Order: sequence, then C-alpha cells, then structure tokens
Amino acid sequence: MTFDVKYCLITICTLCFHPEAQGQVLSDTIRSKDIPQVTITSNRTTNPHSVSTSKKADARLMQATGTLQVSDVLKYFSGATVKDYGGVGGLKTVSVRGLGASHTAVAYDGIIITDNQTGQIDLGKFSASQAGSVSMVSGPDNDLLQPAALAAQAAVIGINTDRPDLEDVKQRSSAQIKYGSFNTLSAQAESAFKAGQNNMVEIQGEWLKTDGNYPYTQDNGASSLNMRRENSDVQRLRVEGALFSNFGQNTTLTTRAYWFQSEQGLPANILYNENAAHERLWSRNGFIQSTLTTLLSNRLTLRTSAKYGITYTRYLDPKVNTTLGKTDNRYTEQEGYFSATALYRLADRITASAGIDGRLSTLEGNGADQASPTRYTINSTVAIKYASERLTLTSRLNHVFTTEKTKLRQAAESYNHLSPTAGLNWLVWPDAGLHFRAFFSNTLRLPTFNDLYFEQIGRRDLRPENASVTSAGMVIEKRIGNVLYSVYADAYNSNVKDRIMAVPGKNTAVWMMKNIGQVTTHGFESGLELHSQDGVVRPALLVSYTYQRSMDKSDSNGTTWNHQLPYTPRHSASAVTWIETPYVNASCNLLYSGEYYCNGYNGPEYRMPSYYELGCSVWRNFRIKAIELTLRAECINLTDSRYELVRNYPMPGRQFRISATIEL
Amino acid sequence: MRRTIPYILSLILVAVACDPEPVLLDESVIDDSGHAGIFVLSEGLFNQNNSTLSWIDFTTRQADSWSAATGRSYDAFEKVNGRRIGDTANDLLLYGSRIYIAVSESSTIEILDASTCNSLKQIPLSRNGIASQPRRLTANGGYVYVCCFDGTVSRIDTLTMTTDATVQVGRNPDGICHANGKLYVSNSGGLDTQNPDNTISVIDINTFTETKRITVRSNPGTIFADGTNVYVVSRGIFDYGTMDYDSRLHRIDTQTDQVTATYDIPILNMDIVDGKAWFYGYGAGGTIQVLDLATGQVLDSDFITDGTHVECPYSIKVEPDTRKVYVCDALDYVTPGTLFCFTPDGRLLYRVQGIGINPNTIAFCDEKVTLTQYQGETKIIGDIDRVFEYMPAPGQFVNVLPNYEQGDDAASMNAKCLKALQSGSLISLGGFGGYITAGFNTSVYNQEGADFRIDGNAFSNNAEPGVVWVSADINNNGVPDDDWYEIWGSEQKEGRATLGYTITYTKPAANDVDTPWNGSDERSGSIQHNGFHSQPYYPQWYSNTTLSFTATLLPDNVSFNGTDYIMSAFGYGYVDNLPNSETNSAFDIDWAVKSDGTPAGLDSINFVKIQNGVIGCYPRIGELSTEVTAIYNLNSKTE
Repeated sequence: MTFDVKYCLITICTLCFHPEAQGQVLSDTIRSKDIPQVTITSNRTTNPHSVSTSKKADARLMQATGTLQVSDVLKYFSGATVKDYGGVGGLKTVSVRGLGASHTAVAYDGIIITDNQTGQIDLGKFSASQAGSVSMVSGPDNDLLQPAALAAQAAVIGINTDRPDLEDVKQRSSAQIKYGSFNTLSAQAESAFKAGQNNMVEIQGEWLKTDGNYPYTQDNGASSLNMRRENSDVQRLRVEGALFSNFGQNTTLTTRAYWFQSEQGLPANILYNENAAHERLWSRNGFIQSTLTTLLSNRLTLRTSAKYGITYTRYLDPKVNTTLGKTDNRYTEQEGYFSATALYRLADRITASAGIDGRLSTLEGNGADQASPTRYTINSTVAIKYASERLTLTSRLNHVFTTEKTKLRQAAESYNHLSPTAGLNWLVWPDAGLHFRAFFSNTLRLPTFNDLYFEQIGRRDLRPENASVTSAGMVIEKRIGNVLYSVYADAYNSNVKDRIMAVPGKNTAVWMMKNIGQVTTHGFESGLELHSQDGVVRPALLVSYTYQRSMDKSDSNGTTWNHQLPYTPRHSASAVTWIETPYVNASCNLLYSGEYYCNGYNGPEYRMPSYYELGCSVWRNFRIKAIELTLRAECINLTDSRYELVRNYPMPGRQFRISATIEL
Repeated sequence: MRRTIPYILSLILVAVACDPEPVLLDESVIDDSGHAGIFVLSEGLFNQNNSTLSWIDFTTRQADSWSAATGRSYDAFEKVNGRRIGDTANDLLLYGSRIYIAVSESSTIEILDASTCNSLKQIPLSRNGIASQPRRLTANGGYVYVCCFDGTVSRIDTLTMTTDATVQVGRNPDGICHANGKLYVSNSGGLDTQNPDNTISVIDINTFTETKRITVRSNPGTIFADGTNVYVVSRGIFDYGTMDYDSRLHRIDTQTDQVTATYDIPILNMDIVDGKAWFYGYGAGGTIQVLDLATGQVLDSDFITDGTHVECPYSIKVEPDTRKVYVCDALDYVTPGTLFCFTPDGRLLYRVQGIGINPNTIAFCDEKVTLTQYQGETKIIGDIDRVFEYMPAPGQFVNVLPNYEQGDDAASMNAKCLKALQSGSLISLGGFGGYITAGFNTSVYNQEGADFRIDGNAFSNNAEPGVVWVSADINNNGVPDDDWYEIWGSEQKEGRATLGYTITYTKPAANDVDTPWNGSDERSGSIQHNGFHSQPYYPQWYSNTTLSFTATLLPDNVSFNGTDYIMSAFGYGYVDNLPNSETNSAFDIDWAVKSDGTPAGLDSINFVKIQNGVIGCYPRIGELSTEVTAIYNLNSKTE
C-alpha cells in the first residue's frame, strides 16, 4: 500500500482542535434521570471503558471500507474471522476468537436473531444502509440491562439502527441509488417524521439485484479455464417500519416491523469438468419486535421486549438423480420471544440486575422425514456491577434451560447449565488514558436442529458446545491536539469443549456437521487508531492485527492433534484510512490474511494461500439549498486479487461501484 | 453409496497413525505373478477436486506417489497430464493397455494409456444437463461398461473411445459386473434415502438391452461375479433406531437369474477369488474376514494374524495367484491413506503410506509403467513427424479412426493420422491390405536387438497382426521413394505366409451394407456392416469404386472356443500382435529382407510402412483390422 502515512501524521500534528468532554464514559450506570444507554460519540471503533473487547463501526467506517453487506466491515475487526463464499449471495458467517461461527450471536437492535436450524446467521443478508452502526462485543457487555439470552453469548454482533434525529426538523428523508460491477443495482429510500408530540415514525425500504457473474479462474494446471460464476443472481427486498414512542419522561417504547425476502441462485462449488449450477434459494423473513424501557424510580429501570418472527426458506435443486428428479426442501421456522430485565441501583457505584428470557422455536419442513422439533429455552441471569471513575467490575451468572419435543423420532434431552462471567476495567494511568481490562466468560452453544435431527447426519444425543474465554489486555485512549489516539492489545485463551461444527458440503445450503471435540485457542489482537475530531481536513487511520492459534485438542493420538482449525489464519491484519476535506473525501482499505487450511487436517493438500484485498473510494457532498447530495465512487479489490476464501468458492476480483444519495 | 461415507463419517475424526513418510519397499514386493506394480485410485474428499492416482512399482520398489524432494505425496495423473482427475474418482479398471477411471462428481470417464498414464480421452457424461455421475466399471469383449447414478449403463467402445450406446436401468446403479454373457447392475436408489431401489438389472451383452430385474433387499451396491454366480451386498434402509444400515449378501445364479442364498453378513466391500470372499464390514473396526461363498460360513473372522491395525479399510484386492491380500486404509478420511500388503496367512509384508485420500480401488498392472513429468501442452508421443500415405481397406473403424469429415482429402487424412499417432490415439488400417506410410524424425540405427517399436492395441487373445516394411532415405530427399524391404516375422520365416496376395474391394451401393472383396486366388468375401458402427466403411476420400491392395497374407489366427473368438498372436515381427509391453512386440532392422528373402543388410532406416496382414470377419468382433497408436525409434544414435 502506498498510502502516505507520514503525510497523514504530519497533517494531524499540525492541526488544532477543540477538546471534547470525556463525559460519555460511565453513561450506562444510572445517574439522575438518564436512560441507560451506551453512547459513543466519537467514531473510534473501540470503547476503552469496556471490560471486554468491543468494536464498533459507524456509517463512516462502513463507507471507508466499501461495505455493501454488514459482513464486509466485520472483516476489519480484529478477532473476527469471516468465512465468505463469495459474491453478494454467498454465505457469510463470523467466528470470533476461534470459537466458531455458531458461538456468535447476532442482535438486531438488541434483540437476538436466531436460526435454530443451522445456528448460523448469514451476515451478508444485512445491508450497510440498514445499519446505523455495527458492533462486535466478545465477552461480557458493560450494559447490565442486556437481555439474558444475549448475556449468555460468547460474542454478539450488533446491528443497530439509528434513532432518527428529529430535534430540529419535522421530517427527514433520504434516497440512495447504487450501481456496480456484475450488474449490481440497489435502491434505498427512507423517511422519518414526527407523529404527534410523542411519536416518531420511520419507514425504510431497500431493493437490490445483481447478476453476480464475476469472472474467476478454475485452476487445474494444464486444463485451467477462465470462467464466470453462473447461477449467481440475487434479488432482495427489505421493508422496515419503526415507531418510537415516549410516554412521559421515563418510558420509551420502540416497535419495529421488518420484512425481508430474497431469491437467489447458488453458484456451485467448482468441480473440475462439471460446472452445472442449478440450485435456487428463496428466503422470507418477517418479524415484529418491541422494547419498552421504563424508569420506575430513580433506582429501578425495567426493560421488556417481545418478538414474533417467522422465517421461510426454500431450497431447490431441479436436477438431481432421485425419483423426483429434484430436491425441493421447504422450511418454516417460527419463534416467540419475551424478555424482561430489571436494573437496580443499590448504591451510588453499585448496580445489580436480573433478567429472564423465554423463547419458543419451531421448525417445520416439507419432507416426510421431518422431526419437526419445538424448542423451549429459558435464559435467566443475575449480574452485579461496581463502577467508579477508574474502576469497573462486573460479575454475572447465566442459567439456561432447554427442552425439546419432536413430532417424529425421539427429541433431544433437556439441558440445564449454569455459567459465570466476570469482567474488570481499571484506568491504571489516567494521564496516559491507560486502561487494563480482563474478563472470564463461560458460555454455551446449543446444538442446532440440523445437528440433532437432519436426516442421517443429525444425532439427538449431542451435547451443547461449552466455551470458556479468559482475556486480558490494555487500551490507551488519549487526545493529543485534535487527534484521538487509541491503541489496544489483548491476549486471550479460549477453550471449546464438545465442539460441533457445521460446514457446507456441495453448496452453502447443504450442510453437514462435525464434532471436533476440543479446541484451544491462544490469541492476540491489537490495533491502532487515529481520528481527527475537528478541522478542515480530517484524516483517520485504523490498523489492526490478529493472531490466532486455534489448536485441535480432541485426541492426543489423532492425526489432527494440535492442528490449526480450518479457515482460521494464524495471522491476519487490516488497515483503513480516510481523509475528509472540504473538496473531496477519500478512503483506502486493505485486508490481509495469512495462509490457513480448509481442513482440520493441516496437510499440504488443504493449505490455502494468503491473500490480500485493497480498495479505495472517493466521495463528495454537495449542498443544493435544502438538499444534500453525496456522490461516491469506489473500487473494491483494486489489484484484482484472485483468491478463494472457502475452498472451491472463488471470490470476486476487481469491482467498481458508484452511488448517489440525496438527503433532505 | 461410497460417496456418502466420507460425507457422513468425516464428521468424526478418528485416532490414527503418523504423517506419510517416503518408502523404499523391501524385496518382499517383487513376486506378484509377473505384475509390474499396482495402481491405487484415491477419491479424495467430496467436492475438493482432489482425486489422485498412485503407482507402486514392483521393479523399482518405489511408490511413485511420494516425493522425497517436496516432502509430500503427489498425484501420478497430475504428474503426467499437468491437470487433476477431478472430484470423487470412484472406480478404476485396467483393460487391454488402457486405464479407465469413472469420476463421479466431475461426471467424466478418463481413459489413460496404462504404460504412461497419459490421458488419451476424457468423456463427459451427462443427460439433459444433469451430471450422469459415473460410478463403477466393468469390461467385456472390447467394450467397457459404466453404470451411472442417473439410472443408466453406457457402453464405451474401447477403440473409438466413445460411448456408443446407453441403456436405462433402475435408480442410482452403484455396482456392475458381468457373467454368462450378461451384465448385472445393482440399482441402489440410494439417493432416495428412505425409498431406495431393490433390484438388479440384467442386461444381455449381445443385444445390450435390459432383459430382467431381479428383486433383492433394499439398496444393493457392491456386486461381484465369480463365473457362475453373482454376489451382491444389499445395505437395507437406514434405521433411525440404530442409526445404521442392516446389510445382507445375496447370491444370484446366473443360469436362472434367481437369488439362491442370502447371508446375514454386514459386508461393506469385498474381493472374490476361488469361491471365497475377503471382506470388511460396517463398524467392524478394520477387521478383514474371509467368507465361504458356497456355504455363507465365515472361515476366518480375523484375517490379520500379526496384530497389524487397519483403521478404516476402504478397498481390498486379492492377487488371484499368490493370494496376497492388499488393503487400503482411509484412516480418518482426511489424511492420505495407507496401502497394506498381507501374506495369504494374514501377516503384513509391507505398507505404503501417503498414497492418497480415501483410496478406493486397487488394480494390478502387468505392463511396465513409466511416468513422465508433464512438459506443457504440446506433448508428442513417438518419433515420427510425417505421414506420407494412409490408405485403409474398408472396415468398421474406417472414417472414424481417424475421423473423416466432409471435404477431407488424402492429404488432410494424412495430417489427421500424424496428429493421432503423435498423441497416442488409435488409427485403423481397416481390412486386409490397408496401410500407412510414415517417416521417422531421425534415422533409426540398426544395432543389436530391437531397433524400433510400433504400438497397437493388442492384448491377450486379441491380435490383429500387421506386416511392416522399412526403407532408408538413400537419396536423402526426405520422401520414401527408395527401395522397400519387408520385415519378416515368424510366419514369413517359417513359410506360412502368402507373399504378394492381391485383394480388390468394391465400393457398395449403399453406406450401410457389406463391402465385397475378391482375392487373387479366387477367394471372395465381404467386410460385413454391423450394428455397432453405422458409418460408411469404404474410405470416403477415395474416389475410385474399386480399391486394390497387394500384401503379405498371414495365416488365419482366429478360433472359436464355444464362447469367445480367440485371436491368437504370432511369434514375433508384427504390429498389433503382442501387447506393447512384450519384448517380442518390438522390431529388429536385421529382420528386413530383400524380395528374395535374403537379408537387406540395412544400417539404418527412415521410413516405415504398416499393412494389415490378416483376412477375417466374425460376428461380434467384425473384421480383423490392424490398429496403430504410436511409433518409437529405439536407436536414434549410433553407438
């Protein structure tokens, strides 16, 4: 990368700044009448006050990294390993700290999204434009009001919508259109307006289509072929509406209705001499969720949430050698969810909370052979936190109870488990802004319905995976001039026992599971960030590095003993930089992954080479009376780096994208 | 359903041995009834495109599958052909001088020259845009039969290397064998997990039509014939109670096509020799057992007697003469496997590690195998660079080998012949008298012993001998206008051949009728047009309506043993007579004679002419026609 870091630093140092209050620090401990909420006003990705490692990407970082889908920006978070089958429609899952993708929960505005069938949420299905910010918390969250189901997760990816800012205006509207390589077109519009004194309404819609037929090289020595992805088209539609209501000073109610539907082809795993791809996938997902937050007294806060969701999936392979001549699987998953959490301030610096979540999930399929399971899960949690200006201590005890019934065949056993977490953040050296942080967590990941019941592959006697993480590190946040410097470094040790892994077979919709047993990961992640807060020219730089040594510890006599987990590079790094000027804004981003293996056996046969991807963009805002117009052009994978992240699923090469956004 | 086994079982990693290491095999390797070595086909991991071929050479005692230089196992196929076989190569068959590989997920048949592993042809198999998924192979009477998961059996003509007929059978056939003039195909229906097929299709080989379906237990797979009986493993329906299959072995009488016995023995795979089956089963923890097929009694419930541990047997082969038992171990399905060789009493002779992932087929090869590193696209086989004249007599492969296209003339057919011979592909000389004249790129010097070699497609009892003539470029003008000398082989030498026999063929009125001929001794006959090859048999680029040849007529070499036509080979001195690996298939310039039979006394030669020397036309096999694949100079330098 030839980006001129030196120039950037000189620019930063010569600029002046207005000091910004650092008062956002302990905002989640209740003080006076504030509604507890983490508000990070700077655009840094790390929160120095967190007991665990937390990252957050705002709209600006998503823009700078050329993010189209939420999964794109996650690749820039240290500690996250994104498995990507390529293209817009390719499955994208995230594993945090070597724990496996199914230990990563995804929350939409603080309410967990579940996929009990596969246990993995496709983060490619969420677009950057629907997320005001994307966060990743690995370890206990500082927020004691967190619902019990989320508190019990090893890692949480948060997709957070922005609350519309209608302080000064009655209505805000925006529209955006994007066009890019491989005939990728998306259009998005949203509008937010006041409805009476105490209500705000927001509606948003987005439509995307792509041919996705990007070129790739099928490397087979003398018979190598230059080809294009086939059957790679995607069409998606999302409609959302939200109602924000205030009932007096102390009560807020947010209700959101969400609808998503897609149809896509599944470009096949590359097979030498046989490249027919026919499979199709249809998804429909709708939910309505509501969260009520009430300050019952100046000591007691209550948050309750409820959700109903339905997900319909249809997988069709019209050309298989069975009696029907096709595979046509249809699944409907439904869930009902209720959560209640109470937060009580025991003393000035001590708060405690208790919460309970109940969930009912069902899965129905069209095959004659479906187990049709129903799962009842109850998560409960109690937590206590001490927070002073320099010290934060949290401790939490989670309990999960799950029981299942099935229409066909025997259901899995009921399960009870108690697991603790504890965290510490200590501002060791206030002048330098140096914090020490550490946590321990123990979490579970329940077997999915596929793990338990899927045809010959499911086994009802699976145990949940049990993950323990011990982490310690430091973070420095210091403002010098108008530049906010953050440096962090964390080391951790994680252990997964009774590991169950689901990996796609022929294509991303056909899964098989695998019980690896035990995995130990020693990891290290660090980063450096510079953000200029003010000034005419505002540069920023984010660099991160991740080391992960994830060892198979299942069997000391096994061939895979101490071998690195598949799809887990030992070294990976990323860098993003951008500069904002009155004339034009520009960004540059770089991803690097060291070599890794696509199989638990680290033989040369399964070695995957290292790769990097470089991108850049330029954009400019124009103000025409009340209308703000932003024009943007970006190049993704500038050097046309050709690589496969998942074996036999090529990634796209160089792409261009242009967009226009109007806001009024 | 072999494919599903790694698919399911790769979920569980099993404790196994260490990383592969280089092996120099000890002397115990070298005594296998004249085999030159063994091929092992490994299917690799599902959807990883990593099927591989390994060669274990008994002469050099090297496993040509592991490189000490790179420290990793490699693929013999990739070494020679510069590309990989593809995904889930499921079966390998050695037939004649060729290797046939059924590559299931890539849906191709690879045809290799056995002595070089050079890919001669890749046949993609699909119907209506659906991959046919070829599974298993068997061969009989010059044809290779492949059963495919799309419910078909296709017939591959080994000469043209094309599929010439396809017959519909039951669902997802997963095993094929032949006995008593019939093919037996196990219709597994295994892709319909809960509703598998339960039949064996019987196909008449002569008519290539399905004549019967024999009902057996659900999900039949592995199938073997031992002359009078066919044995088939039926796995049953997956039982969600036991989470397992419940397998049986059926015996089918090939006279009555009735199931005559069913044994309750859980067999996964086996090999049959002399009424006994060496097998391993489901969940048997690597135990090899021996079964008496007549009684269903297990003769030996643990064949291995010296404590050698086979983790996960994945293929088994018994050498029919020495009774040595070869077993491939897939270990944990993800690491390169191991080949074990046991004595007949179950003691380990040797093992070869690192032979490929999921080794599923073991095949003995009698021909010497030389693997040459792939050098790039233009790989020229043999040592000729010119074809001067190609004039075949009418025949069932004329206009096909090489292929005649509208507008071709003698010159373009010569060019096609050169291309074919330089790539090791067959050309056919048609009936008696048909010939080809070619030039070597450098002189062939007459030294002691063999001086040049001409490869044909002869194998045991399948000789179609051609007579060779040679010429030296005395006037140095590069064209064969000098004197020709006949190579006298065993038949001329012993006075059994008729020199200077003239035959005249008359172009038939229609393209699909017999071609009549008249000989110089008042004999007459015809080249019969048969149902297997429907193209015109008379050379299409030749405009005259009669075609005459004068050639040396060799004695009749064909006899009928009641079942098959035996095409016996002569002693020495002919093309397409003995298998290419045989010493007596090569030529010595000293054998060249003048027209009076005295030695020609040539120091070197530059040109060679090959001419079909036999007359004969029989049902099923058609006319005898010499085929040539390559011409080699063995002495390009003077000593």
